Amino acid sequence: MAAHQSTEWRTVCEKFRLAQELSEIESRKDPENNPFRSKYKARDLLKEIHCSLVKIHIEEEEEGEDDNEADGGSMQIAEGEPGNECGKTCTGDSPAGLRAARLAVLQYYLGVNHIETEELSAGEQHLMNCMKLIDKCTTTRENVSLFIQARNQLGILWAGRDEIEKAQGFLEIAESMYLLYMKEDGQPPLDLQDYFVSEGEELSQQEKIRSRFEMAYTHTLYYLAQVYKNLEQYERAGQYCHSTLQRQLEYKQFVPLEWAINAATLSQYYITKTRYMEARHCLAAASVIATLAGEIPSEAAAKESDAECEKREELLQKRSEIARCWIKYCLNLMQDAKKLLEDNIGELDLDRQEELKRARQNEEEEKEKGRKSAILFGSSDTFDSICSLEEKISSMLPLDFEEARSIFLVGQSYVAQAKEYFAMDGHVTDHIEILQDHSALFKVLAFFEQDLERRCKMHKRRVDLLEPICKDLNAQYYLLICRQLQFELAESYYEMMDLKLAVADKQDQPDVHTIKKFNNLCSSSMKYYQMFLDSIRSPEGKFPEKLEDEVLRPALVAKFRVARLQSKLISNNLATQLENLNHSLESYSFIVQYCEENPEAKKAVETELELSNEMVSLLPLKINRIRSNMASCN
Amino acid sequence: MASSSVKVAVRVRPFNSRETNRGAKCVIQMQDKSTCIINPKQPKDAPKNFTFDYSYWSHSSEEDPSFASQGKVYQDIGEEMLLHAFEGYNVCIFAYGQTGAGKSYTMMGKQDPGQQGIIPQMCEDLFRQTAENTDPDLSFSVEVSYMEIYCERVRDLLNPKSRGSLRVREHPIMGPYVEDLSKMAVTNYSDIADLMDTGNKARTVAATNMNETSSRSHAVFTILFTQRRHDHMTSLDTEKVSKISLVDLAGSERADSSGARGMRLKEGANINKSLTTLGKVISALADMQGTKKRRSDFIPYRDSVLTWLLRENLGGNSRTAMIAALSPADINYEETLSTLRYADRAKQIKCNAVINEDPNARLVRELKEEVNRLKELLLSQGLSNLITASGEHPHVFTPVINTRLRRSQCTETEKIIAELNETWEEKLRKTDSIRQEREALLAEMGVSVKEDGGTVGVFSPKRTPHLVNLNEDPLMSECLIYYIKDGVTRVGQEDVDIRLSGQFIKELHCVFCSEVSENNEGESDHVTFLTFTVSHKCKRYVTKDFCAFE
Repeated sequence: MAAHQSTEWRTVCEKFRLAQELSEIESRKDPENNPFRSKYKARDLLKEIHCSLVKIHIEEEEEGEDDNEADGGSMQIAEGEPGNECGKTCTGDSPAGLRAARLAVLQYYLGVNHIETEELSAGEQHLMNCMKLIDKCTTTRENVSLFIQARNQLGILWAGRDEIEKAQGFLEIAESMYLLYMKEDGQPPLDLQDYFVSEGEELSQQEKIRSRFEMAYTHTLYYLAQVYKNLEQYERAGQYCHSTLQRQLEYKQFVPLEWAINAATLSQYYITKTRYMEARHCLAAASVIATLAGEIPSEAAAKESDAECEKREELLQKRSEIARCWIKYCLNLMQDAKKLLEDNIGELDLDRQEELKRARQNEEEEKEKGRKSAILFGSSDTFDSICSLEEKISSMLPLDFEEARSIFLVGQSYVAQAKEYFAMDGHVTDHIEILQDHSALFKVLAFFEQDLERRCKMHKRRVDLLEPICKDLNAQYYLLICRQLQFELAESYYEMMDLKLAVADKQDQPDVHTIKKFNNLCSSSMKYYQMFLDSIRSPEGKFPEKLEDEVLRPALVAKFRVARLQSKLISNNLATQLENLNHSLESYSFIVQYCEENPEAKKAVETELELSNEMVSLLPLKINRIRSNMASCN
Repeated sequence: MASSSVKVAVRVRPFNSRETNRGAKCVIQMQDKSTCIINPKQPKDAPKNFTFDYSYWSHSSEEDPSFASQGKVYQDIGEEMLLHAFEGYNVCIFAYGQTGAGKSYTMMGKQDPGQQGIIPQMCEDLFRQTAENTDPDLSFSVEVSYMEIYCERVRDLLNPKSRGSLRVREHPIMGPYVEDLSKMAVTNYSDIADLMDTGNKARTVAATNMNETSSRSHAVFTILFTQRRHDHMTSLDTEKVSKISLVDLAGSERADSSGARGMRLKEGANINKSLTTLGKVISALADMQGTKKRRSDFIPYRDSVLTWLLRENLGGNSRTAMIAALSPADINYEETLSTLRYADRAKQIKCNAVINEDPNARLVRELKEEVNRLKELLLSQGLSNLITASGEHPHVFTPVINTRLRRSQCTETEKIIAELNETWEEKLRKTDSIRQEREALLAEMGVSVKEDGGTVGVFSPKRTPHLVNLNEDPLMSECLIYYIKDGVTRVGQEDVDIRLSGQFIKELHCVFCSEVSENNEGESDHVTFLTFTVSHKCKRYVTKDFCAFE
């Protein structure tokens, strides 16, 4: 084209380059009190270019007409035949199409400029102009990138105005536009930067163009993810977040640690949806990609320089965070299996186990294969590592002890890894949360264990994990954690007591040692329930007349359990028996009385209250029997 | 000792002169505890209503019977919080709101009588109450620290030597703390006021140098209040330590984390443009699912320092209040609405550390069996009259006293123990030496320290030429004073009398020449010439009264 060589065209290109620079680079240095200085300058330039361009086009068209007359008129063909797309006046790659696209690019940049300077309506107008210009043409390599980017911008614009469906419309068209183009052409399209290049200057490199084009589409998907989230279509939102991550990896447009944390976080979304195969894939990819962030600097290196120290901190922290996501994966997988397998008192239901095992063989594997291909992460270099990491742990619900144990062991190894960074020294809350997860892993593993002695030992491990920290923790700063620990310890001891009793029941005559042990477990459990209840008292030691919502049920349940434990203590001595039962009665009465005084509490503890009422009326009978026994003995 | 929930108050200020000049309309109405806001663009829409623990109408003046004065706000919130501190709770007051909405006025206020904010009133009250103590076995000590959180970095505002970012850590006994944050021993309110003032200076210097505004950083002023009781029987000291945190939260207009300037933090359907925020979208998605179903996932958090702050105040044994400052003007409608929404959400803030109990199923079955057994027994014995049990048992409990235990399992403990072993005298000495360093540093930069008497707020020396800084945050504005001495005063980055740093400051930025001349009445008068050394157009200014720089 003749115009390309002209000085005028060169000036246009130079101005365009300057406008880009002002908008992208200079604007960052604009002062606080005049934040859009460079943007306004860029805008003026764009407007100037627009004027010159219109002028050049008129000249070109005149020339073109001359040419057309000479060689039969290619323009007319373009205009006369609508082609396969009806309503289109010219093809995108015709001179007219290119002219339209060039003007459209200017409208696009003017639109973005106005939006960036908070003039939304004007920005919208320019973007719509841009769309109108290219809508006249068929979609080709020349304008597809512009098409997608303009729609992305309009999507953002309308979402900002709370017109989320409108935003969705623009973005979904951009999405299908990309898919169609890739199917029919697939070549890297003309980049927005390359519309204004004078002869002799080099166009952007193919790879760069490809990467920019793909990036624009990645953004389309990312914006759609947000649109669906705002429309409360969470399933789709998750899917689009997933695709965004996939594409970042595929086109190598990611920061390893950031990507890894995002993938790990996405795994937590899948966990709550009980989609463990997807969750596992995200986690495996997170672990692998995190290693791309480089070696963790040694402690010695960290001491030498602040930068190394910071890097070490960051890498250790992120890796530990990913490990914590793995722990949750293991824990939830086992807990979900437990929910399926337990009977109405929380024991393993053997019939159910058989049934599930049989059903599993047929179905799940088939189903998962289809699902799997859609979610795969991986560029060629990381794919194998991701797969081999996945193979280390199942994504199926464990149905027996062996399966549960293998998941437990993986979880436990991540516990160790997570604790490396989240040590007690400096990270109290996080460290304890990890220990609580570890305890929960033991607890759910115990469910699968059939041997009562071994099961008891697992609960003992929970006690060993939590008891030392519970003693050390200052309730002034960690009140809620203290309460959680006290409650969990009380329950662990309770569990052990129950198991010891079940074991003893199998023996004919429990020996003194067993009884002593049993009583100790009861007392320990009561001690922690009591500590929990004491934590509710005022600084003066007064128990509140009205319990706050979040402690209401736990406090009454603690009382209920204490009542039960008191009556369970074994003693040969009648006086001690009497004392224990009196204590028990007192605790049951407390619940009954509290609910009388605070009727709104009844709903929270219906079953417990009903039983407490019964016990309050029946226990005196037992007490009287002991009394009369004592009298007869004397 | 119930776990905390947040007490929330909102307060609306009068129009400022600019708003009055522009003929601004008031969009806020209040009645009792409720606050409503009218959309100036859609006045026909129903006003949005919010209910808080307190809605303070300070839009009018003292004469208005519904006017909420500084004293009233302190009585409602400050007094209660101080009482809790004496009881041994940690207390925390958050201030939130757009810059210029009156946050600083509510928290700090002005020096004039009746104009003091919550912080000065609370400190005065604290020292008054400790002075009234007559128990020889009871003693008190007060230490303060002041830090700033900006972009996840913690900076010590009281120690000039502390460089870079401090680490946030936790200790099982001492609770959450900031490593190496200086703690200054104080003995009266004026000490505190001085420290707060120098802290604000340090904050302003940093903000001015880095060309940032205070509205993007959180500032935390902490008063560590220790009550020590000597027990003659055991000759042991027990301590009750409570932490009073006064938090100035970053303004609601803070830029979006993508860094896009001019982007307003808005709720609703907004789309984040940059892929760097993908993590935010994913965490929100996971979080949403998690809370609906169960809390059994782990979401790597991003806003970690603030999370830590909230954790300390919501998860511990503490009492928390939040005051949101509102601008009444119609032009600030969007911001004010977003502040109200934030405050509304704060009401529901609860720590998610819930207690997960095991199901009672087995216990229930067991008990039911026992109930049946006992009932059978009852029937077989034909007993109908039961004797109810009596015999009250005194509840056994251990009084909760925060005793500083010494353990050596943690390496960090050694540092803390060393600190604990410091005597009060040593602490005061150390405080004084850091103060001297700080003053030396400020003096080196040309900021006057002594001459302005350490007062908070506006103070202009009458007859000496000087420079003051301007800042959109009234708390920071005019709090640095640079004197111009007679003769030549050089301003710039290196080897100068007044040191400024920042990207736009040249090595030798400008020179003031101040001459004393006799005026007509025979009084001495300063005439100051200002010469910019490096700027392309060399301008000379001659000033007489004062000049201000930004």
